[in-house]
Amino acid sequence: MMANPKKSRPYDEPPKRRRSLIPSGPDTAATGFFVAAALWLAVATAIGALAIGLRLIGLEFSFPLGVFDLSFTFDVRRVDYAFVNATVYGWLSNAGFAAVAFMTPRLLGRRLAMEAGLNGALAIWNLALLGGIASLYVFDLGPHAPLTAFPWLIDGGLATGALLVTGAFFATAATTLRTGYVSLWFAGVALLSLLGLLSLNAGLGLLDFFFGLDELPIALASIFIERAVSVLWLLGMAYATLHYVVPRGSGQPLAWAGIGMLSFVTWLVLAPLAGLSSLADASVPYVITSLGIVATMLLLVPAALTVVNLVQTMQGRWTLVFRAGTAAFAVVSLAFLFGASLLEAIRALRAVDLFVGGTDWERGAFMWAAYGTFTFAAFALAEHALPRILRRTWGGGFLSGAQLWLAFGGAALAGLALMGGGMAEGSLVGQGTAPDAVGEGLLVYRAIAFLGFGMVALAGLALLVNLFLMYTSGERADYAVPGQSATAAAGH
Amino acid sequence: MTVHTPIETRSGSLPPWAIGLTVFVFLVGGVYLASNLAGENPAFAIPGASASAPVASGGGEADPAVGEAAVAEAQCAACHGPDLGGGGNFPSLLGVEEGPVSENLQDLAAEYPDEWIAIWIDGTTPETEGLERGGMPLFGEELAPEQIDAIVAYLKTLP
Repeated sequence: MMANPKKSRPYDEPPKRRRSLIPSGPDTAATGFFVAAALWLAVATAIGALAIGLRLIGLEFSFPLGVFDLSFTFDVRRVDYAFVNATVYGWLSNAGFAAVAFMTPRLLGRRLAMEAGLNGALAIWNLALLGGIASLYVFDLGPHAPLTAFPWLIDGGLATGALLVTGAFFATAATTLRTGYVSLWFAGVALLSLLGLLSLNAGLGLLDFFFGLDELPIALASIFIERAVSVLWLLGMAYATLHYVVPRGSGQPLAWAGIGMLSFVTWLVLAPLAGLSSLADASVPYVITSLGIVATMLLLVPAALTVVNLVQTMQGRWTLVFRAGTAAFAVVSLAFLFGASLLEAIRALRAVDLFVGGTDWERGAFMWAAYGTFTFAAFALAEHALPRILRRTWGGGFLSGAQLWLAFGGAALAGLALMGGGMAEGSLVGQGTAPDAVGEGLLVYRAIAFLGFGMVALAGLALLVNLFLMYTSGERADYAVPGQSATAAAGH
Repeated sequence: MTVHTPIETRSGSLPPWAIGLTVFVFLVGGVYLASNLAGENPAFAIPGASASAPVASGGGEADPAVGEAAVAEAQCAACHGPDLGGGGNFPSLLGVEEGPVSENLQDLAAEYPDEWIAIWIDGTTPETEGLERGGMPLFGEELAPEQIDAIVAYLKTLP
């Protein structure tokens, strides 16, 4: 007998669950940021290869868009800027936010506050970034450095995204931060710094838009903000991530809590001052830039302390380094951390800066920091975190190995080639060689760097494929979800 | 199993060697800072401004005393001799106001009688394209236009 549908009453039916437009489940934000980061890595490395390629073949063009006298302009400077922004704000910042969203609840044992807000931040941040990179090819770049070249409205969008992530972090961690693990301290300061720097940049852009500031103060503020984003936000998140993944990846306790805190304090004191070294202009007192130079050189201290502390943490588990996994990625990141810090310390010296400043050497050093230190820290976290947030068992295997060796080989090769090219460039310019001849002299170095970028791009592709296969082919596993009762013994 | 698995630490203390190393490196940094308190930064090269950067004008109102310091900084004497009177294949800088001694600069001086010295020292502008520099560095990439002006003003004071 058929039931009469007219007789069914509301309380006979199961309650309807309303689905929110913005997801708010545990780890949804971490998943979203990881996926966005992986996509941006592929985009950034492709643009990076294009930027080097343009130096080899030399191609520029422009055509009008037909609205407001705007035109689309394609040249080396704009592609360079797009590469730096896609790397820093696309790949590394999304990976940094993913690290915050993954580590915070697991270190504190409670669900992340404002998970929906974080998902909103994911959308706002990435849409603003897409708009910003498109704007680089349309608007005048003015005297800005790459990371400050977006229009102020875009900077405001990025600052809003950073505000939401920072708000979620402190809403979760504020009450227990004082006794929290050192990774939380690094992450908290890094997030506040990013928010402050993006707000400062947006504010300056707004003032310039309405009142038309002079080029020099804008250029100096731009280069200061760019340097500070690197040493406060990116380096801070690298420290936070490495202090998390090495003990987790090796399954051993952190060697010295005291050294972890000393690393944090020295970094906290020195990193804000390091940006002052960029303000090398006749209008800035000499002592200010000298202070910035000293701070940049002394940043080797937290780097060395961290390397010693985490290497000591790995004691007895060195076999983990010989197979592609969290520990191997983390150890490569530590090696690049020390190498890049040493290079920065040398580069800070005025005599060296006079020789290699403005040459390919700077791009090589950026390559080692961004695609060495920061990228491998993010890879280490991804290797550890993705099975846990996707709740899949996954070993990675061949693809993780490809990621490790391609990224390591590519970053090392491109960095070395560009730094070698920079020294050759400095030498040729010093000898009074004509610009065309300098360009010809750098062809080999740039060709090798192009090859290195190609290898890093393949590593990015391997990460994307690995992520896809993990989600589609990995067997379900019951990893514990922060804020919910655990049902399985799979750890963090 | 609890969801919250804090990261344990093997030792909560701070080893003395870590404190000693940190203090020592900071002291070295302090000494370096103390020895770099006085000086002057060069003019900042604004990104993207090279195409329209102000080119040195050729001396004008510049201070020769500043130029003398800039000549020392640029190490002109390394090639042009301790008294800038020339040496080997490098020409004398004495009496440049009278005109260039090098053949390849005659056309430049004829076209820019007041600015040719500054343009030549700068070396990064289109006017010097195709000119054989014979080892002369592109000082426009290292010195500010004001510094080049001051150098020209100083050179013009030399007998």
